[in-house]
Amino acid sequence: MKKYIYTLLIASAIGSIKPAMAQTKAYETTVDGVKVIVQPSGNDIVEIQTVIRGGIDSYPASKMGIEAMAMRALTECGTAKHDKNSFKNELDKVSASISGNTGKDYATISMSCVKSDFNTVWQLYTEAITEPKFDTTEFTRIKQDAINDLRANESQPDASIDKMANKVAFAGRDYAKEPQGTPEIISSLTAAETKAYYNSVLTKSRLFIVIVGDLNQADIESKVKGLLSTIKKGAPYTMNASFFRAYNNSFNEESKELATNYVEGVTSGPQVSAPDYYAFQIAMRIFADRHFLDVRTNNGLSYAPQAWFSPGSISVAKFSVSTTQPNKYIAVFDKLVDSTKRNGFTAAELADKKVAYLTGFYYKNETNGAQAGSIVASEVLFNDWRRSLTLIDNVKKVTLTDINNAFVKYIGNIVWVYQGDTKKVDPTLYKNGTLHQGDNPVNN
Amino acid sequence: MTSKLIKSITLSMALLFIAAGSFAQLRLPAGYYYKKLPNGLQVVVIENSKVPLATVEIAVKNGSFTEDSVYNGLSHLFEHMFFKANKDYPTQAQFLKRTQELGAIWNGTTGSERVNYFFTFDTDSLYQGLKFLNAAIRFPIYRVEDMKKERVVVDGEFQRMESNPFSQLYIAVNKKVWGDLFTRKNPIGIHEIINTATPEKMMVIKNKYYFPNNSLLTICGDVKHEQAFAMAEKIFGDWESSGFDPITKFPIPKFKPIEKTDLFVKESSLARVPFIMYEWQGPSYETDSASTIAADVFSTIVGLNSSKLQQALVDKGLASSVSVDYNTSRYTGPIEVSVVPNPNKVKECYYELNKQINMWGQADYYTDEQLKDAKAILLRNDEYAKEKPSSLPSQLSYSWASTSLNYYTDNTDDYQKVTREDIKRYLDTYVVGKPFVGGIIINPELNKTVNAASFFAAQ
Repeated sequence: MKKYIYTLLIASAIGSIKPAMAQTKAYETTVDGVKVIVQPSGNDIVEIQTVIRGGIDSYPASKMGIEAMAMRALTECGTAKHDKNSFKNELDKVSASISGNTGKDYATISMSCVKSDFNTVWQLYTEAITEPKFDTTEFTRIKQDAINDLRANESQPDASIDKMANKVAFAGRDYAKEPQGTPEIISSLTAAETKAYYNSVLTKSRLFIVIVGDLNQADIESKVKGLLSTIKKGAPYTMNASFFRAYNNSFNEESKELATNYVEGVTSGPQVSAPDYYAFQIAMRIFADRHFLDVRTNNGLSYAPQAWFSPGSISVAKFSVSTTQPNKYIAVFDKLVDSTKRNGFTAAELADKKVAYLTGFYYKNETNGAQAGSIVASEVLFNDWRRSLTLIDNVKKVTLTDINNAFVKYIGNIVWVYQGDTKKVDPTLYKNGTLHQGDNPVNN
Repeated sequence: MTSKLIKSITLSMALLFIAAGSFAQLRLPAGYYYKKLPNGLQVVVIENSKVPLATVEIAVKNGSFTEDSVYNGLSHLFEHMFFKANKDYPTQAQFLKRTQELGAIWNGTTGSERVNYFFTFDTDSLYQGLKFLNAAIRFPIYRVEDMKKERVVVDGEFQRMESNPFSQLYIAVNKKVWGDLFTRKNPIGIHEIINTATPEKMMVIKNKYYFPNNSLLTICGDVKHEQAFAMAEKIFGDWESSGFDPITKFPIPKFKPIEKTDLFVKESSLARVPFIMYEWQGPSYETDSASTIAADVFSTIVGLNSSKLQQALVDKGLASSVSVDYNTSRYTGPIEVSVVPNPNKVKECYYELNKQINMWGQADYYTDEQLKDAKAILLRNDEYAKEKPSSLPSQLSYSWASTSLNYYTDNTDDYQKVTREDIKRYLDTYVVGKPFVGGIIINPELNKTVNAASFFAAQ
């Protein structure tokens, strides 16, 4: 029942940590040195996410994609007890999913099932994590699939411009590593080295587990103990956080035969430990509303103007549009940033945004998967999963002065990237600014 | 002759099935409450206290199915204009400010057979939220200058779609499947129609379709149905009925069947991987509701990892993915096969795909166990689909527009009743040996070695 619909973008910003709510009190327990966080859900669905910390810290640039291939292999290359087909067929029978994914800061192995199927699916989940086979024939097949996915993703303009933005903005840093790799690197990977890599990062010291579902605590602890029984302890891991700053505006372009042009900008954001973290997050959400109003409503320049805060071991703010008038866009953008810096946000905007946070908080609590994702992100970024539950309290404390200061402090020089008709854009407008006030108004 | 006779009998049976259904008593799931206001507005309240939020949605039987070549894309533009200005909030800045005051998460969608608008906010704002919805749906303001700006925005949405090679192929295939009536299946529209739209055209749409007797209001969340009905009646009760059924007054033309199989190759530098799509004209809820159910069960069977289709294409490395979908529709839904072939084995993938499709009519193409597994999946999928309260109004209104409220209620149970004969009838009527349109989009560089035109053609 595929449905074709055309959506109007939600005006609110995206990309920041999403909250979770305590329907019944969440708790944590420790099993064999591994933290297990449990959020009862009040429904019949069970979502479990096992997290391996590290992400791009764990492999060199020459092996980008190896963690993504390992995650793919867990469910696609068989286990000690099941070949690939029998593993997938058993999952199909109960309409459950087990999947592995990786990003810049961590990898997640997830399972989702209906509660009555939990024991069956848990068994397969344990096998996938602890006894993956990395069958060489299957591995050859999934390498081709991974390359296809990379190329298909490159065909998606939004994904393509974001990838380009990261590549240019983080050039020379570890953060430039692309977790999904490149076709060339993926082609060269072997099943044996990918298995060896997986075994090197699958250590209790890097793991924690999030469970959203109505399961008995004793049962959880017993099952997790079984899961961990063959996993080695490993060396402690700490996330390496660093600050991103662009020292001047820059503009990089790529000619593409698109029906419109895609623009994305990257600038600073507070580190997750910064005292103005929430202030900046709120400032960016309000700015996203202004950006939408000015770019789309007032000037009709883009269907999808977006501005968001992307936190991680490197936190950045991003802006993006698709537009046929890129020169006009940068003029509108510069003026908007300048006026926001000069005049600040309003008390009403802040008050309204706090109400929106409350709606968003409960909205995200509608599904077990979203709750688990929120808890995982808080635990990885802050080493404190409870921050996903106390978000509203932290937001309430933020003042107008806080958000105005945070916006001025972090929104500085911008790394701009562009894909589309390069004849339609004047790079100097992006590099030198458009307000002609002696210096670039978007500089600090 | 025999085949014609069978078709005629099965069609009559299907019509009887529908006729019986139309007089059946309304059925809704537990926790769902229904009321039809005197002006014809249907109201459903879904009591769900999972989170302290309320979602309100108004759905209208509008969309591309109502659009000829003079109006194609304007249901969608109309949807955008809903969020622009109205008598209570005369500018979009004021409109957006109000959504922010309500802390609302909101959106609107336009499809072939439905346009819907929905807002989620804290449950205490329900009355204010309904008033806000009422102002927007009943009292929109269309200014020339606002429309000029929004036309560019909607066209920008179109351009984004055109920048995606898979969407390019989708549009190219659909143009051939639906022929002269392509506009009826093309919600995004036509550039020049969007770019020349006027306030007058918006009013034409409003005066044809935007009436309570062509709309469904759904209120879902931490609400009590008595209070919610009272609010709905107080706020929407004086919305005047049109006095006519728009779909009767402005009838929807019948699609002309695909005459013969048509395969084509499209080159695009944006297509970093090749993509194949086949499409048939499938069942309509109006004339063959039973096959719309069988279609979903069959699609689920061939999506199983154990299925012959997945094993032949994905397991053997000829394709990264293959899926079969039927889009439930009141007026002829499409049946689509989508394949991402291995770029090194495009030809082999194509031949194997055809071989598999040619076997779909055989009784042993799937096993009894696979049929059972597919039904079990559809049963559990219902559990997942009901997890998110704010998504329930949209699921309900989709069925309301394209099928019926009873269809929504009975859907999961009906899947469990599907037999091999139902699936065979569906496949024999719409797919096996029937003409279809197929397209492949491929990068020109890759095509130099693949030479898709040498094999990707109707025999």
